[in-house]
Amino acid sequence: MTNTALLKRATTLGLGASLLAMTSAFAGDLNVWAWDPNFNGAAMNKAAEIYKADHPEFNLTFNAFSREEVEQKLQTQLASGTIDGLPDIVLIEDYSAQKFLLSFPGAFEPLTNAFDYTQFADYKVALATVGSETYSVPFDSGVTGWFYRSDILGEAGYSAADLENITWDRFIEIAKDVAAKTGKPMLSLDINDPGMFVILLQSTGHWFFDENGELDIVGNEAFKAALADYTEILQAKEIYKPVSGWAEYTGAFTGGDVAAALTGVWITGTIKAADMPGQWAVAPIPRVDGVEGATNASNLGGSSWYLLTSSQNKDEAKAFFNDVWASNIDFYQDILVGQGAVGSLLASREGAAYQSNDDYFGGQAVWQDFSNWLGQIPGVDYGIFTYEVRSAIATQLPALADGADLDEAIEKIEAEARVLTQ
Amino acid sequence: MTNRSLLSFVQYGVLSVAAFLSVFPFFWMVVGATNTSADIIKGKATFGSNLWTNIVNLNAQVDLPRVLFNSFYIAIISTILTLVVASAAGYGFEIFRSKARERLFGGLLLMLSIPFAALMVPLFIMFANAGLINTYSAIIAPSVANIFVIFYFRQATKAFPHELRDAAKIDGLKEYQIFARVYFPVMRSTYAAATIIVFMLNWNNYLWPLIVLQTNEMKTMVLTISSLASAYTPDFGVVMVATILTTLPTLIIFFLLQRLFVQGMLGSVK
Amino acid sequence: MAQTRLGRNENISGWAFIAPAMVLLGIFMIWPILWSLWMSFQTGRGMNMSFGGLSNIIRLTEDPIFVKALGNTLTFLAIQVPIMIMMALIFAVMLNSPRLRFRGLFRTAIFLPAVTSLVAYSILFKSLFSTDGFVNASLIALGLSERGVNWMGDPFYAKIVIITAITWRWTGYNMIFYLAALQNIDKSIYEAARIDGIPAHAQFFKITVPMLKPVILFTTIMSTIGTLQLFDEVQNITLGGPANATLTLSQYIYNLTFRFMPSFGYAATVSYVIVVLVAILSFVQFYVARDRK
Repeated sequence: MTNTALLKRATTLGLGASLLAMTSAFAGDLNVWAWDPNFNGAAMNKAAEIYKADHPEFNLTFNAFSREEVEQKLQTQLASGTIDGLPDIVLIEDYSAQKFLLSFPGAFEPLTNAFDYTQFADYKVALATVGSETYSVPFDSGVTGWFYRSDILGEAGYSAADLENITWDRFIEIAKDVAAKTGKPMLSLDINDPGMFVILLQSTGHWFFDENGELDIVGNEAFKAALADYTEILQAKEIYKPVSGWAEYTGAFTGGDVAAALTGVWITGTIKAADMPGQWAVAPIPRVDGVEGATNASNLGGSSWYLLTSSQNKDEAKAFFNDVWASNIDFYQDILVGQGAVGSLLASREGAAYQSNDDYFGGQAVWQDFSNWLGQIPGVDYGIFTYEVRSAIATQLPALADGADLDEAIEKIEAEARVLTQ
Repeated sequence: MTNRSLLSFVQYGVLSVAAFLSVFPFFWMVVGATNTSADIIKGKATFGSNLWTNIVNLNAQVDLPRVLFNSFYIAIISTILTLVVASAAGYGFEIFRSKARERLFGGLLLMLSIPFAALMVPLFIMFANAGLINTYSAIIAPSVANIFVIFYFRQATKAFPHELRDAAKIDGLKEYQIFARVYFPVMRSTYAAATIIVFMLNWNNYLWPLIVLQTNEMKTMVLTISSLASAYTPDFGVVMVATILTTLPTLIIFFLLQRLFVQGMLGSVK
Repeated sequence: MAQTRLGRNENISGWAFIAPAMVLLGIFMIWPILWSLWMSFQTGRGMNMSFGGLSNIIRLTEDPIFVKALGNTLTFLAIQVPIMIMMALIFAVMLNSPRLRFRGLFRTAIFLPAVTSLVAYSILFKSLFSTDGFVNASLIALGLSERGVNWMGDPFYAKIVIITAITWRWTGYNMIFYLAALQNIDKSIYEAARIDGIPAHAQFFKITVPMLKPVILFTTIMSTIGTLQLFDEVQNITLGGPANATLTLSQYIYNLTFRFMPSFGYAATVSYVIVVLVAILSFVQFYVARDRK
C-alpha cells in the first residue's frame, strides 16, 4: 500500500534527522544563549576568539534570541526537566537572576570556588548569590547616561554644562525648548516598555519591594515621585516620538529622528554603529526632585553569564571563564570601547581605555564619566518578581499619559502586581 | 445611470477594493524581501535591490535546510497519520452504525468545543514527564486524532457505495482489506482534499510547537519567522524572505489544486 | 442502515476501526481536560503544587488582568465576528450573480488570505502598521492624518489593528462557505421573487439569509471558538500590549505558565473559563438559530 511505503520512508527520514541532531552536540562545543549580537553576543565572541588563540580546539557557538525568548526557553525547559535543548552558558539579566536561582535550585552550577569573587563589583556578586553559593560570571553594568546629539542641542543653545546636575522638570523644559527650536523630539519612547521609569526609580534608591521582599508600591513616596516625573514626560508629547519595539526605538536615534537616548551604557555599540562620529556626547541623567538620597545616576539592565549544571563541558567553560572573563584586562578594554560594555571586573577599570577620550563622543572622557556615575548608583535589591511588576506598571502607562489620577494608578499597579506575584 | 448599472458599478467597486486589499499584503511581502529593514519600517512599497543580501543574511542566521526539513517532516508525518486514523474512524462510524457508536459520535461533537488553550498546560506537563519535550513526537502525537477530519470522512463515507463492500465480502476480503483495497481507491479525491487541509493545518501550527520545540535545530519555519521578527534587533528584510518561504508551500498547493483545496475546506460541513 | 444486520464480527470490526482515534482522543484530550480540572484546584509555583481548594477561583475574581483579557476577548468576538460574517455574506452574494465578469479572479483574490499561516500574516501586519510604516505613510500622504496614528502605542488603535488583521485573514474563508451554499439554492426561488416584484435587498434578507442559516450558524460557531482561542496574532503583532489592551485569554494562560513565575494551577483555572465560554456561546447560538425556524 502507498501509505505504508510512505510511512517506511518517513521513518528512515526520521532516523536520519535524529542522527543529525546527535552530531551537533559533540564535546568541546560551548553553546551560549544571549540576546544582542551587537553587544553581549559580540563580547562573548571576542572572549572566545582570545581564548581560542591558545586553545585551538576550543569552539563556542553563540545563539541570539530575544531576551524574552531566552527566559521563556530556559523556564520551559527547566520546569519540564528536559535538558537536551539547554545551552552550556546562558546570559541572564540581573533583574531575573534571583528568580531563576531560587525557582530552579540545582539548575545552575555554583562557581563559588571557581573564582575569586572579591575581584568583581560587590553588587554583581550579591545578586547572583543564594545562601553561601555564588553562581554567575559577572558581566556588564547597566549604568545609565543621557546620550545626546551635541550638534542638535548645540543648535538649540545648550552646552554640556547646562545638562549637568539637573532635575527631570528642567529636563522637560530643555526638551520642549529643543523641540521648538530644532523640530526634533528629545527621545523615542515605547509605552509598552517601562524601562525608563525603572531608571528613574532606581536613581532614588528605592524599588518595588521592601527589605522583606514584600510589595512596596502604595505608600512608597519615592515610587510616587518617580512615577509623577515619568508621567510628566509622557504627557509632554512634543518631547518624544512614540515608537513600538526595540528596532523602532533605536532606529529613531540612529536615523536622526530624535536628539537623544536616555538608557544604559550598553547602547554605545548601537550608537557607534550609526557612524556619526563627533555628533554625540553623554551627560548624567536628570534627578528625581524631592526624594532624599536621589541621585543623578542609575542603572538599567546589566546581566551576567551562568553555567548550567546540565552542561557536558563544565571544566572547559570554567577554564575559559577564568582565563578571559576573570583576568584579561585587555579584553575588557576592547569590549568597553567597541561595545560599551562596562565590565564588573574591578581591575579592568584601571585599564587604559577607561582613562581615554573617545573621539566618537567629541573627545569626551566618557568612560571616566561612566565610572564615576557607576559609583553613585544607589543599590537596590531586585527581588524575584521584577518583570511581573514591570508588566503591572506598563498596564497603567497609557492611562497616565492621558491624564489619569496618579494615586489611583498606583493602587491599580499594586493590585495587579499582587495577583502576578502570588 | 439606471438602477441596475449603478448596482453593478457598486458591485465591481466593492469587489475590486476587497480584492486589492486582500492581495496587497502579499505584494508587500514580496516587495519587502527586496528592501532593507530600515526601508520596510519606513513604509517603502517599491522594489529595492537588497533581495540577495537578505537571502544571504537569512541563510547565515538560520539553518534553512534543517528548518524546512522540520516543517515538512512534522507536517507530512502528521498528515499521513491523521488521514489513516480519521478515515478509519469515519469508515467505522458510518459503515458499522450502532446505538453505542452514535452516542460516542455525539460525544465527539461536544469535544469540538474543547479549546487547545485548555489542554496545553496538562499536555506540557505530560510530555515533560515523558521526557519528550523538544521532540517531533510531542508535536505529532496530539495532532493525529483530529475531530474535524473524522467528521469530514464520516460525511464523505455516506457517498461510498455499499454494493462495493458487499461484493468484496463475497470475494472473501477481510474488513481491513476492504478498507485498504476498495474504500481507499474509491475515496481518492476525498483523501486528496483532506491531505491539503491537514497539511496546511500542521504546517501553520504555532502555539504547541512554540511550547514544545526549544532548540534552533528543531524549530519549524513558522517558529523561525516568529523568532526572527521578535529578535532584539530584527532585520525585516530577512524576515520577509523567510515569510515568503513559509507561505510558498501552501500557496503553491492552493494554486495547483484549487478545486480540491476548496472541497477540503468545505468538507466537514454539509 | 439496518442495525439488525450487524453481526458479532461486524460489531468488532466497527469498534476496531474507530479504536485508534478514540484511544488517541482519550490520551490527548479527555485525560488532559480532566487533569486540568483537577489542577485548577491546585496552587503553588512551578512543579511544587498543593491542594488549594477554591483559592484559584477567588484569585480569578480579584485579578484585573484576567478581567481585562476576558473583556478583550469578548470585545474581539462581539465586534470582529459580525463584521466579518456580514462582509463575507455580501461578497458571496455579489460573486454569485451570474452576469459578473472576472468572477474567478475576484474569488481567488479575496480567498487568498486564508492560505497564509497565522504567524506569517501577523508579521506582515506588524510591519505594515509600524510607527513610520506603510499604513501611516499612506494616511499622511492622503491627508487623513497629520503625524500618523500611534497604532501599537494606543490601546484603542491596537485593538483596531488586531480586528483588521483577523478580518483580513478570515473573510474570504467564510465567503467560500456561503458561496458553496448559495450555489445550492434553487434559482427559481429568485425568479419567482423577481416576478413578485420583491427588491434585491429584500431578497437578500427574506430569501438568502434564511436559506443560508445553517451555514451562517456553522461559521459563526467556528469563528466564536477561533476568537476565544486567539493567540498567534496578538502574540506576533502586539504581544498583548499596550497596557494589556490586546491581551487574550489564551495568551494570559501562556504567560502564566511560561513567561511569569509558572502558576500551572491558576493557568488551568483560566483555561476552564474558555471551556465554559465556548460551551455557553455555542449553546446560545444554536438556540437562537433554532428558535427562529
